[in-house]
Amino acid sequence: MDWREVPMRLLLVEDDVSIQQFLKRALVEAGYLVDAASTAKAGEAMALEGIHDAFIIDLGLPDLDGLDLIARCRAQGSSAPVLILSARRSVDERVKGLEQGGDDYLTKPFALPELLARLRNLIRRSAVPQNESMRLQAADLQLDLVRREARRGEQLLQLTPQEFALLEYLCRNEGRVVTRTMILDHVWRMRIDPATNVVDVHIYRLRSKVDHDTPRPLIHTIRGVGYVLKYA
Amino acid sequence: MPKELRATAAWRISIWTTLAFALGTAVAFSIVYFLVAQGLRERSDTWLTGEAETLAQVSADTPSDHLYKRIVREVAELATQEVPDERNARGERLNSVFFLATDPNNSESPLWVGPSSEDAFVTAIRRSKLVPGAPKSIAVDGLRETFRVVVKAQNGRTVYLGLSDRGATRMLHRLAGRFLMVWGGMFVLGFLISYWSARRTLLRVERITETVARIGTEDLEERLPEPVNSDEISRLAKTFNRMLDRLQSSVNQLRTVTGAVAHDLKSPVTLIRGTLESALCDEGNEKWRDSVGEAIEGLDRLSQLLNTTLDLAEAEAGALHLDRRPVDFSDVVRQLVDIYQPAMAERQHELTANLEEHVVVDADVTLLNRAVSNLLENELTHLPAGCRVEIRLHSRQGSAEMVIQDNGPGFPPDIVSGAFKRFVKGEHSPGHGLGLAFVDAVAQGHGGVARISGHAGSGAVITLSLPVHVLQAVAT
Repeated sequence: MDWREVPMRLLLVEDDVSIQQFLKRALVEAGYLVDAASTAKAGEAMALEGIHDAFIIDLGLPDLDGLDLIARCRAQGSSAPVLILSARRSVDERVKGLEQGGDDYLTKPFALPELLARLRNLIRRSAVPQNESMRLQAADLQLDLVRREARRGEQLLQLTPQEFALLEYLCRNEGRVVTRTMILDHVWRMRIDPATNVVDVHIYRLRSKVDHDTPRPLIHTIRGVGYVLKYA
Repeated sequence: MPKELRATAAWRISIWTTLAFALGTAVAFSIVYFLVAQGLRERSDTWLTGEAETLAQVSADTPSDHLYKRIVREVAELATQEVPDERNARGERLNSVFFLATDPNNSESPLWVGPSSEDAFVTAIRRSKLVPGAPKSIAVDGLRETFRVVVKAQNGRTVYLGLSDRGATRMLHRLAGRFLMVWGGMFVLGFLISYWSARRTLLRVERITETVARIGTEDLEERLPEPVNSDEISRLAKTFNRMLDRLQSSVNQLRTVTGAVAHDLKSPVTLIRGTLESALCDEGNEKWRDSVGEAIEGLDRLSQLLNTTLDLAEAEAGALHLDRRPVDFSDVVRQLVDIYQPAMAERQHELTANLEEHVVVDADVTLLNRAVSNLLENELTHLPAGCRVEIRLHSRQGSAEMVIQDNGPGFPPDIVSGAFKRFVKGEHSPGHGLGLAFVDAVAQGHGGVARISGHAGSGAVITLSLPVHVLQAVAT
């Protein structure tokens, strides 16, 4: 993918130094160049250089509210998409407003795969739209997105529309971990946080069809994080 | 009469004031009526007594010869002329007066001046045992009006003089008639005036109620208009505004506190979670993998509990930010049923949905999703394997009603009344007792209601009703 070849540059504004460090490490590992700032003032100065492809901004900054920082950057012509990190909950009205403005938010604590997924989405949204493929392929799994058919090798899989949507989502993120929250959000458009194993049951059912009778399973559980589709 | 009108305070106030007013004037009139009747009687009695004395004198002084009757009759007839209203509009005599003179020593027929029906009068007089000097009313057979009669005895002769009460009765009737007319007018006018003024005053209260109701559910910034004058209702508005000030400041305070708590507690959790997650990604520590995963799951449960607690604190204080838009409730329920169906099937539950299409509510979609998913979580967590769960949704009389019903053991009787309270849960319930409290708070925040019915042993029924979207409410 091209964004790996020309590394994206991110600005991370987070006042908690430990969180800032582990985030920076995770983002660098994911292939981004990261500038980090601990205060809104420093963040604003960096943002105005205009060299960043996206901002990750914590709302609870010591010197200025994160939302005000975004407003100031916007007022001075910075147009990079923003991913908000918020300790506030999803019911917060101001955070919701941002989501509608094309930016995105993530409530703490978050799963790293989700942070990375949202970041990718943000950057892709602001870039030129790619050609949507009609087919998806992962190892010997093939998905025909027009006819809504999935094949494992030569075998046609009997999937319900939901199972197909779930498999498509896993397939699009081949090799990347997706969390339960991400699955609910993308497959069902629901931002809920069930305490029971509702998502797991969907995955078990899908797995019983996709990885049935095969020595090389595709769908793997990452305990504590989520699921990943890949050849082990 | 429309029922709504009768239910208003203005209506009741005006009914009561009008009744009190009518009663008061009726009492006042009765007193006046009584005094006038007494005055009239005294006047007629004075005339009767005076005239009877004269006639008795004349009768006594006149020798009992052949002229006696003629003389006395003429004097008596002269006396009758003095009575007002003696002739009616056509000039006929009404015979308001009679005169009777008897002489016990004399066997000849008594002297009679008056109406032709002499016998009836004589019978009436005999019947009524008159005492000389005290006027008395007697009823005469065949006549409507009573006669006031006075007796005078002189020189062995007894003189009876009677005056019809017709004049007095007519006057009193006229008085009562006029009064009834005026009284009826006053009754209607008084009712209208008191209704109008009560309505006018109470409309101001009504406006305050409407505004406060709107402020309660939407926006704590708004205030009631405070009129310049300072009557009771203006003071009410001012008091409400002061109360809203305090409410707003405590809501703001609560938001600040929950915000700070969330921030302070979640930063370390975020850090721990991130660190654990990085550890998970490191190759080579396979033997820790399960423990680390378990720790992360524990942290997720912790932050979930934290979120719900904070949301609930705000919801119960009415401090939730509601981002209300038209939401297809049917879609929300269908999606969630889709999500929960496999997990239900795994526990051998049979989940059926019976949903009316396109029931639109004005709701915050995030909160609505979570409320409905909490109800499904609740079923999933509490039912023993192999139960039936049914979800129904329909709109009825301006409200969207979602019913979730199961055939499980139902709520334990000791928690039914408090099931929507925070941390109330069954003894053996694995949940933390926040789920239903949150559902209730969300329902109330949207101007709806959540109810529990069903008895222990016969399954649980939870009803969530929300007002439907305005346009749809008009259309149905």
